[in-house]
Order: sequence, then C-alpha cells, then structure tokens
Amino acid sequence: MGILRLSHVEVRVPDLELATAYYTEVLGLLETGREPERVFLKCWDEHDHHSVILRYAATYGLEHMGFKVEHAADLEELERAVEKDGGRVTRHARGELAPGHGEAIRFDTPTGHRCELVHGMEKVGNLLPRTNPPPRPLGLVGIAPPRLDHVFVTAEDVEEGTRFFRDVLGFRLTEQIVADDGHQLATWLEVSHTPHDIAMVTGPNGGLHHFAFWLDDWNDVRAAADLLAYHGVPIEVGPTRHGATRGYTVYFFDAAGNRNEVFTGGYWVDPDHEPITWTEAEMGRAIFYYEGAVNQRFLTVHS
Amino acid sequence: MGILRLSHVDVRVPDLDLAAAYYTEVLGLLEVERTATEVYLKCWDETDHHSVKLGYAPRVGLDLISFKVEQDEDLAVLESRIEAYGFPVRRVSHGEALGQGESIRFETPSGQLMELVREVERVGGLLPKVNPPPFPPQGLRGIAPPRIDHVLVTAEEVGEATRFYREVLGFRLTEQLLDGNGHQIGVWLERSHSPHDLAVVTGANGGLHHFAFWLDDWDHVRKAADILAYNGVQIDVGPTRHGITRGNTIYFFDPLGTRNEVFTGGYRPDPDFPTITWTEDNIGRAIFYYEGDLNDRFMKVHT
Repeated sequence: MGILRLSHVEVRVPDLELATAYYTEVLGLLETGREPERVFLKCWDEHDHHSVILRYAATYGLEHMGFKVEHAADLEELERAVEKDGGRVTRHARGELAPGHGEAIRFDTPTGHRCELVHGMEKVGNLLPRTNPPPRPLGLVGIAPPRLDHVFVTAEDVEEGTRFFRDVLGFRLTEQIVADDGHQLATWLEVSHTPHDIAMVTGPNGGLHHFAFWLDDWNDVRAAADLLAYHGVPIEVGPTRHGATRGYTVYFFDAAGNRNEVFTGGYWVDPDHEPITWTEAEMGRAIFYYEGAVNQRFLTVHS
Repeated sequence: MGILRLSHVDVRVPDLDLAAAYYTEVLGLLEVERTATEVYLKCWDETDHHSVKLGYAPRVGLDLISFKVEQDEDLAVLESRIEAYGFPVRRVSHGEALGQGESIRFETPSGQLMELVREVERVGGLLPKVNPPPFPPQGLRGIAPPRIDHVLVTAEEVGEATRFYREVLGFRLTEQLLDGNGHQIGVWLERSHSPHDLAVVTGANGGLHHFAFWLDDWDHVRKAADILAYNGVQIDVGPTRHGITRGNTIYFFDPLGTRNEVFTGGYRPDPDFPTITWTEDNIGRAIFYYEGDLNDRFMKVHT
C-alpha cells in the first residue's frame, strides 16, 4: 500500500549526446528509449522501463522525481491527500508522459519540486532470464549499478518539506540533523525499508543536490572510483563513509554538472525504527564520517 | 500492514551452556536475558528484545518461528484468515512469553509452530540515537552479525505449504525450484523486500534446515569463515554464492547440530517482482552457484 520506492528522476542536460554517452558508457546504464529531446535509461537489474530520463534543456537540474506506488488505487488515495493539503494534482493516462510509462499523478511539493507518483510502468525485464538465471550478466560497461537508490533535494524549509513527505505521502523519518536552535537542517526519509528513498537539506527550493545509484558493496565502490578517475570524471568526495545512513559513497558530477552518487551499505529499517538525530556540531561526521568535515562545494553546489 | 519480517527463531538445545557459549562467543550475539532453562539472544544492531531463543530440551530441533507484524489489527486479521483456512490459532497473552506482548500461535501446513507478534520489548541497539558512529562498538566478539535474516524449513508438500504462506500470510514468491513434473520442491518467500524471509524445501514436516544472519558484505563473509575455522566450527559449505537469491553464504553447524548460515547480497524485490524459476536439472547451480553441485549433507541433514 502506498509508495514503494523511488521510480525515476528526470534531469535537464544542455548536451543530450554528451550526457547520454556519460550515463551509458561511464555510469553504465542502458538506453531503453529515445526521442529528439529525451533519452530513457535504466540500470541493468531494474525491470521497469526507465529510472533516469535525460531531457535536453538550456540548463541543468531536476525536471521531476517519480515514485512508484504499489496499487493503482494508491494514486487516487494520494491524489486526495495532496489536494487536501492544498496541492494541485494533474492526472496522466498510461503512456501519456513517456514511452513505457504507467498511469501517473503529478504535483508540486512545498519544497518546489515537481513530483510524480506512477503505477504500472512497462516491464522490459532485467538482463537475466527468469529461468535458471546467473547472478549477474556479463559484458556490462562502466560502473553498471544494479538500480537507482535515492534522491537528495534542497529546500528552504526542511521542516515543512519533511512534514509533507511524512504526513501526506507516508514517508518515515530515519535520520535528521538538528540545528542548535532545534530546527531541522536535513532529513532522511524512507518507504522501502532502507535508510532513505529521499533526503533533503537546507538550500533553495526546487534544487537537486544529487541522485544516487546502489552498488553491491564497498569493493564495488572502489571499482567505481577507479572508473570515474580513468574517465576523468570530477570526483567530489570519496570513497568514504556517511555517518547518517552508515552508507559507503563516492560523489561525482555528470557531464552537465548534476551531482551523482554511488552508494552501498546502510541498514534495514522497520516502520517502527526510532529516528537517529545528529546535532549541528557533529554535522561533519554525519555527512562524511572519515573526514569529519563537509567541504564547501558539497554545501553550496547543487543543480 | 501485515508481516514485516522475521522476529525470532526458538531452537531446542540439549546443552544450554555450550549452545549459549557458541552463540555469544563464536557467532557473537548478545545475551539479553537468561532463565534456568532458556537463553535470549539478539544481534548488536537489533533493537527488539531477542532474535534467537535457546531452550533446554533433551533433543535438538525447532520450537517456533516468530514473525513480527506491523500493526495491532494485523494479529486479528491474520488470526481470522488462518482459522478460515482450517488451522486452529492460540492466543498468547501479554506476559506469557518473555520480552514480548500478545501474540498468536498456530501450526503451519508444513508442520512448524509459527508465531505472529506485534509488540516486542525494545531493549535498544548498541549505538546511541544521537550522533551514532556508523559501525558497532569496539570489542564485539565473534562474527557479530547486525541482525537475523531468514529461516529455511522443510515440508513434505512444498506446494501446499507455499499456498498457505502466500494466500493466508501474504508472503510473495521470489524464486521457486521445480521438479521435472512442474512441482515445487523449493520456494523462497519474502515480506521485507529482500530475496527471502522464509524458504521451504522438500523434507520432513516440522523440520528446520537452517536459520541465517545478515552480514554487511562478502568481506564480512570471509572474516566469518576465518572465525568459524579458528574456533573449530564445522563448516558445511562455503564461502560461496547462491544462484537463488544471488546471496553470498557460508553454512555451518552449531555445536548441537542446528545448521546456521551467514548471508549477504541479493536484490531488493518490489511486490510486482516477477518470480524466478529454477529447473531441477539446474539444482546444483541454484543452490551453490560456484560448485554447481549439492553435497549430500545439505540435502539430507536438518533438525
């Protein structure tokens, strides 16, 4: 019932060919569809039609983020909840928004982000057979993460954004950074029993801090760093570890300037998980546990 | 709504002190409580009262498998569904079982005693909820898995048991092993968006094949093998990899003969995950992907 997990992100890129080359050859996603101004991509182990949409635009940034719901009826229920909260919702029939896309609703969040909930996206299958499959396909190119993991956005009012995602959309709070005066500086929220499906940190409304792909383990994080360095991709931070989420990470930038992350580790969350709090004084360790400090770029650069 | 995950496994041990020494010093669980005939254990990252209960008995075997449900009303809903299916249900009142509230107990079609519980005493993990380090406190002994993962039981009629677990208890089928006639001889079932919380293979009714603990990654599996070998624990198979679940694994026996597993990896299935099928001619790779073969002991020995 309700939202299952992050389905996809649509990001703006000023050079569609360059961005596509980066996402397919360095990151190692697979192209599943193409239009003059949009390219549709998925990770190898994902079954749904796409998890990343690149959209040609004059600038970079997040066009929208989409979450997958379990049942078609969840769309109606959540539509009512968003409208009751004062949001305006549009409905979109199957296939209307993109090739292979399911039935969807869209609305703007109080944090200024375009948000979509989708059900019934076309299943294109992962790269493995459903009978006697090997544990992974051979011949993958680049980092080749098995799946999209989470999105991290910026918001002027983190508390208001957090309230919306918890009370209206049903997300659960796993961790938070609380300022000395008691207000939330950053929050981590989940529905998929992971440390986070979405997180937000204080910044401009509508901003994208990063979106992240799952890797199997710390060894894969090291291999990802090797590939990023080999291809001359600007690595921002890592390989290192988060205090918040306990995850292992590398942050880096795509060819358009959108921040990407590869992520692994963390913990399994029950709905009765008691949230973890980080104090402002420990913010450095919360974000980068080994460094104990957050670099200025990480705090100020977003798209 | 419904079952969240495995809560605890209760096993009978003919030598309580020997078993407790093994589970605390080699496996590295924490002793939470002890009575004259019972020892209650938990993993370091678990916050509920216990995940393993050792109970003195002249013979080794499985006492019960307990799953945690999300909401109070889940107990009544599942109780009526189980009774409607024709199985008597016993209510265990608050205070009757140590460390937990009201529960329901029933025998499954595969002959195991099963419990569903909502309220479990929270004893907390080993980390603070404010500014916690991302790893456990120093000085944990043994393998020290963060949490229990799944249980595998045996059943004379796997197909019938599977029908009960899916239709009555709401488990979802991630993988199945079919014989040449298309009959299920093994099934993997989940509620927690993991490859399995419960699995069933052909064997005696009421049997326990093994229960498993989660490890962080393949490197942790290697360290576990070191610790098992150092302590003279009998390793059954591994370190190796499963075709089914894609997990990395070691099987071994506690000193009384109950099979344990340490497990990591796998994937995160959505509820609409298309079931993977293994055919009997591929049973070797299904269970042990690297060996491509099952040892006799693995097929025949259970408790």
